[in-house]
Amino acid sequence: ASSPSPSKLADAPHRAQQTLAHPHIFADAAMAAVATVSSAGGILAMLHEPAEELKLHALASLNSVVHLFYPEISTSIPTIESLYEDEEFDQRQLAALVVSKVFYYLGELNDALLYALGAGPLFDVSEDSDYAHALLAKALDEYASFKTRASKATEEEENVDPRLEAIVERMLEKCVLDGKYQQAMGMAVECRRLDKLEEAIVRCDNIHGALSYCINLSHQYVSHREYRCEVLRCLVKIYQTLPHPDFLSICQCLMFLGEPETVANILDTLISGSKDDALLAYQIAFDLVENENQAFLLNVRNRLDSQTPGQSNPDSGSALPVDQTVNAGTTSTEPAGDVQMGDDTTTANGNAHPVDPNEAAHADKLAKLKGILSGEKSIQLTLQFLYSHNRSDLLILKTIKQAVEMRNSVCHSATICSNAIMHAGTTVDTFLRENLEWLSRATNWAKFSATAGLGVIHRGHLQQGRALMAPYLPQSGAVGGGSPYSEGGALYALGLIHANHGEGIKQFLRESLRNTSAEVIQHGACLGLGLASLGTADEEVFEDIKNVLYTDSAVAGEAAGIGMGLLMVGTASEKAAEMLAYAHDTQHEKIIRGLALGIALTVYGREEEADTLIEQMTRDQDPILRYGGMYALALAYRGTANNKAIHQLLHFAVSDVSDDVRRTAVMGLGFVLYNEPEQTPRIVSLLSESYNPHVRYGAALAVGISCAGTGLSDAISLLEPLTSDVVDFVRQGALIAMAMVMIQTNESFDSRVGTFRRQLEKIILDKHEDTMSKMGAILASGILDAGGRNVTIKLLSRNKHDKLTAVIGLAVFTQFWYWYPLLYFISLAFSPTAIIGLNSNLEVPKFEFLSHAKPSLFEYPKPTTQQTTTSAVKLPTAILSTYAKAKSRAKKDAESKAANQEKTAEAESKANQEKSTAESKPSQEKSTDAESKAKTTEDASGSTSGEAAKTQEKDGDAMQVDGAAEKKAPEPEPAFQILANPARVVPAQEKFIKFIEGSRYVPVRPAPCGFILLRDTQPSEAEELVLTDAPATVATGAGNNAAAAAAGQGSAAMAVDDEPQPPQPFEYSA
Amino acid sequence: MDPKLVEVTQLIDRFKAAFKASNFDVCSTLLSQLKVLLTKFPSLPPVFQQTPNAVEELKLAREIYEQAVILSVKMEDQDAFERDFCQLKPYYMDTCGIIPPSSEEYPIMGANLLRLLVQNRIAEFHTELELLPAKALDNAYIKHGVELEQSFMEGAYNRVLSARQTAPHETYIYFMDLLVKTVRDEIAGCSEKGYDYLSINDAKQMFKFSSDKELQQYIAEVN
Repeated sequence: ASSPSPSKLADAPHRAQQTLAHPHIFADAAMAAVATVSSAGGILAMLHEPAEELKLHALASLNSVVHLFYPEISTSIPTIESLYEDEEFDQRQLAALVVSKVFYYLGELNDALLYALGAGPLFDVSEDSDYAHALLAKALDEYASFKTRASKATEEEENVDPRLEAIVERMLEKCVLDGKYQQAMGMAVECRRLDKLEEAIVRCDNIHGALSYCINLSHQYVSHREYRCEVLRCLVKIYQTLPHPDFLSICQCLMFLGEPETVANILDTLISGSKDDALLAYQIAFDLVENENQAFLLNVRNRLDSQTPGQSNPDSGSALPVDQTVNAGTTSTEPAGDVQMGDDTTTANGNAHPVDPNEAAHADKLAKLKGILSGEKSIQLTLQFLYSHNRSDLLILKTIKQAVEMRNSVCHSATICSNAIMHAGTTVDTFLRENLEWLSRATNWAKFSATAGLGVIHRGHLQQGRALMAPYLPQSGAVGGGSPYSEGGALYALGLIHANHGEGIKQFLRESLRNTSAEVIQHGACLGLGLASLGTADEEVFEDIKNVLYTDSAVAGEAAGIGMGLLMVGTASEKAAEMLAYAHDTQHEKIIRGLALGIALTVYGREEEADTLIEQMTRDQDPILRYGGMYALALAYRGTANNKAIHQLLHFAVSDVSDDVRRTAVMGLGFVLYNEPEQTPRIVSLLSESYNPHVRYGAALAVGISCAGTGLSDAISLLEPLTSDVVDFVRQGALIAMAMVMIQTNESFDSRVGTFRRQLEKIILDKHEDTMSKMGAILASGILDAGGRNVTIKLLSRNKHDKLTAVIGLAVFTQFWYWYPLLYFISLAFSPTAIIGLNSNLEVPKFEFLSHAKPSLFEYPKPTTQQTTTSAVKLPTAILSTYAKAKSRAKKDAESKAANQEKTAEAESKANQEKSTAESKPSQEKSTDAESKAKTTEDASGSTSGEAAKTQEKDGDAMQVDGAAEKKAPEPEPAFQILANPARVVPAQEKFIKFIEGSRYVPVRPAPCGFILLRDTQPSEAEELVLTDAPATVATGAGNNAAAAAAGQGSAAMAVDDEPQPPQPFEYSA
Repeated sequence: MDPKLVEVTQLIDRFKAAFKASNFDVCSTLLSQLKVLLTKFPSLPPVFQQTPNAVEELKLAREIYEQAVILSVKMEDQDAFERDFCQLKPYYMDTCGIIPPSSEEYPIMGANLLRLLVQNRIAEFHTELELLPAKALDNAYIKHGVELEQSFMEGAYNRVLSARQTAPHETYIYFMDLLVKTVRDEIAGCSEKGYDYLSINDAKQMFKFSSDKELQQYIAEVN
């Protein structure tokens, strides 16, 4: 009948405790103990006292013991709540605080937060307790999610609880005061409070650090594209108010925001400034180029053009021509002209003429800048680097070639493709030249691929590209000996050479497209055009390709679909709807597939904007369009790790009825997650054990794509079992994926790389292996040693921006499932693992830096030694083995020692030579086999046995010498390594790179990768250049100075270019 | 001596004087003043801060609450009894021997047991009992309550009703009176189920009423 009494609640839980602590039992022992209350009953009773002061006191006491007695207090919550609701009670907030704490301990965070808000200022954000932390986190979450909701539904203006806002603001304020700026910035970004973000950054002691932190933050954690733009805009605004703005970062932001105007302005200001500023401008340009956003770079370049006449020409209309004559035309015609020279001459003339020398310097710098922005400079330097550092292992190819059956055209063209990948961008085509006859077995589409492969090998050979391909290109008017296959392949190859830098070749490709009606040539031309004008959204080109599409020819139409996609990459234009409509009209699956991929390409990187289109495609009845929808999803949310996208992809991966869609959905995960490669193996691990081989295949490639070039241990562990899957195409996918993961990782970094190489060799040599997995192994060997072992697959640039070309390349590459020639698209994803230092003239000076790691960790894989081939051919070496040893030992007693000594010196000289052969000692059974053969030869040449014995003895000595030499061999490995500019630096090595203090050149930006501009601290002294193209320019003359880029290496490269192109047009006229 | 202590001691003296004079209104005003003053003492539960005056303060506080409990009986206010007793309890249970046991402890504990019995809160009654040490059960005050409860449970209501005479403490009388009412309610509840009808005489005997009038009055109250 009575109201719930406090004592009722008080007793039960603490009975045992109370009995123990009861004063009457343990009176003596307890004297020493500190008295504590065993129940909150007393305090709770006090709440019912009529006097205000007592209630207050009780609340205060409760507040201090709530962590101990929340179970008791919880039953009295109604009482305390009524105090909180009592308008006249003057400590309502305290009551709210107590209730909030109780709710917190009961795990009712929502209620806890509600009352904590009621507690107002009493809720102490700086309190270092679990309660405060948990509630703050909760409050931030609430606030952030509220703000996110509010930003989505703008029309219904919900008002945030001002108390919540106050708490968050107090929290932010406190973080700033405590110097925890990063926390404050993170929270501000999360809560969409750009005003607070700005405040936090401005108040921070290290504004530059804070800004770069924020940029990182916005890319990694801000999943909503529009909001990210807002954040970046805010950051740019802050950057611009700084006295020393960090232009490198600003321009990166601006690129993301798509504001070429501002970038052009900044660059223009910089090159008008001091020499150091110009260096910075170059550096910015290189960094922008790294992100491969062709359309943006083009815009910047055009803006620079339009600015220059406004600024420099009017007041120095005559200055430029004069300068040019003085400089003998070096400044404008040759981008890498000698600036020091130019400067000297202009200043010399400046005294005589009333000409502003600055103008000339400015024009010169502008030319250089544009050279960089066009991508030519970096491509040229990359080409030089890849050529000079090429370490490809021809023996591997030779082994493959010999192991592959002649009639098996799949493996045959895979081998050609593997060769192309291995030499991608190196311009080294020795293998093809040495095997012309073998090469000519490629017919029809294989010939198309083989020709296209040349494009991969010569990738980036912008100036010479067309000349190189000339023998295969369709001859307008002339009868043209070439088959349409090689002509089509050549056009495709031109596209690959000029991928993303196709200004020069576009016109030619368009003409070729228009002048032909052969669908194979159209096919090649469409791909080529797409590649060359990647992402430029050129209307005319689009019309040309569309005309091909409307011929409704399956072969040409497929390429046209992809070509249109490539052209419109990331534009999200309404052309996609047009393409979709046609995809519904046509009967040809090939065309539908091409268009589906093409549509997917158009929404590249558009995130939420693409949702409507994705929805449309993924709901289509046609599985091919759903398949395209998967690509669209993957590409629109590429590298965002967006939860919604992952969720959707996973859904399709397990629920769609079409295997193709499921495979692609899983594969798409790789694209979505490539910014967080560590996540991928975890996410797809279950899928990799699916009963459905298509899903397993997709899982393998997803890991391959997202973890490409990382050598991530988890990824390798996941792929390892898949490489011996029961289904052949799963093995194929796993092998390729593994190669992608392991690219540029050597055996001493991860021992499994060596195992994998051996596995590849085994598969290739195994006669009974399925063709599919054999092809996978062949391609994998190519990818593993791609680009002369100097490139890796990188989908993110240094600034965590996505590399458009690389991602697109991989996306189309995965399409090889249906169409092998698309394999070559992987070459777009390759980026050189190099540090190239440049001086203000954009030349490569002599410069050294330190790699603070064991050299063996990152060195090139050891070249394979002759194994299978040697044992058969080099019989004499077999004599060296056990047999020779035994023989020599037997003879030793009989022979005089004097004779022995005579020969020692001679033997020693041979020692080194033989050491290598001895090392390549064939396996056990082979040696015995050889022994028996050796015996027979010895028997046959009975008369010369004496001589033979002598040589054997020599060999015996040599063996001893070898032994001694080998003992010395394992010296302690140095812990560091000096690298000379330009150097191969694999991604994992970058963190070990240190620039040597006090060296002549100082890098403009500290990050050690890619192109680095170096500030010369001793400008007066003569510079020593490493890669110089000056002599080549002289040699080739003014008219051909464009050739300088690649030809500058030296006579070898020159020879390549001068010779008539070796892989002659194939003789087969099928 | 601490001025606060002095003030409290003086107030207690005034309280006691008023109590003797049975001036309960004055008592309760003084009491609430005292309670407010007590909140200023840091050594009291739940803080138990170890100050030099801790023993004095605790003793005073305990005395005040003991007086408060007794006063509440006098004023026949069960809620106040419960409130004050709960606040008093930590002084008995949790002081860990900082202060010597009070002479009033068992009488008050016993009274509390009676109160629970009166309010028919048997579960809590036993809980309280469990908290007491074994030897406390021999104490006359406690024993009284325990025996009453046993009789109550057995249904030996006449023993319950006759126990009023043997009450060991004057404060118990109040509860014993109430207990009669509780017992009658119990009987009424049972007989309602047990009998279709009862004669006046039987009922009078069963409910231990001396006159018909009292019975009529009770029936009117229940219905």
